[in-house]
Amino acid sequence: MADYSQFGFQDASSPVMEELVEFHDHALMVALAICSLVLYLLTMMLTEKLSSSTVDAQEIELVWTILPAIVLILLALPSLQILYMMDEVNEPDLTLKAIGHQWYWTYEYTDLKDLTFDSYMVPTTDLPLGHFRLLEVDHRVIVPMESPVRVIVTADDVLHSWAVPSLGVKTDAIPGRLNQTSFTATRPGIFYGQCSEICGANHSFMPIVVESTTLADFENWSSLMSS
Amino acid sequence: QSFKLLGFLDVKNVPCARESVLYGSLGSVVMGLGHFLATSRVRRSCDVAVGGFICTMLGYWFYCRYNLAQQRIRQRMLREGMKNRILFEGSYLDPEKEQTGSERSNS
Repeated sequence: MADYSQFGFQDASSPVMEELVEFHDHALMVALAICSLVLYLLTMMLTEKLSSSTVDAQEIELVWTILPAIVLILLALPSLQILYMMDEVNEPDLTLKAIGHQWYWTYEYTDLKDLTFDSYMVPTTDLPLGHFRLLEVDHRVIVPMESPVRVIVTADDVLHSWAVPSLGVKTDAIPGRLNQTSFTATRPGIFYGQCSEICGANHSFMPIVVESTTLADFENWSSLMSS
Repeated sequence: QSFKLLGFLDVKNVPCARESVLYGSLGSVVMGLGHFLATSRVRRSCDVAVGGFICTMLGYWFYCRYNLAQQRIRQRMLREGMKNRILFEGSYLDPEKEQTGSERSNS
């Protein structure tokens, strides 16, 4: 989950999120180079060391056409690589449905004998000591680790969005439409997210918690829930 | 704790960022000073210094990130190999068993 004053990404828990963080670092380094150049030119202009009395400047025009093209290529190539990686179809081991309601989520594991449950936020008054305010839920989404999981997201009433930043997932839940996303949790843990589309009074109070466990624990949980 | 250069680049926690900025600064000083010593032109030397900073920083950044990516791939292959070794040890799929079998047949 995010710290109270966190500005950057949470630690990546899926391969796609790792790639996104790396691309973000790469883009910021390019941005630093551009900012340095702009800062220098600004300083030159403010100290009147740069004049605008040039009438014919073929060389500088060539430079400031080719350089931005190179910068765009440096950014576009890894970006497209990640975009296509996110759309890869990778034969998921598990499919689960996430249905958004006002103001809770319903999860359906139809691969496993019609396991369905609702996930409500735990109110602050009922929160056990040490648990996270406005983030904990009564029933978590349990998934096996290191297994591709497909999530089909939809909504029952208004727009919602199923987002888990640590897994690099954010998918809109639209009534009457099925949106598909997939992720692979690379390590065991508990990953928090929150509804990311304004949906009414309690939009901020319908969190998502994904718990990634070993396959054995997942099987135990699913047989417990089914019975 | 993080130190953000120009308010956005976290040089402490981003791999290769700190070295890129430091090498960029060193390259900038060397190229700027070298140009000034050779030509005694201050403004052009400043231009060369800024250009040197950008080129050295980006150049080291790509080199470092490429090596980091290769290291990550090797780590992934090692992890997969260790997992497979534990999984297949002693079974007919164990590659070491095939090797020892062929060594015995050769001797």
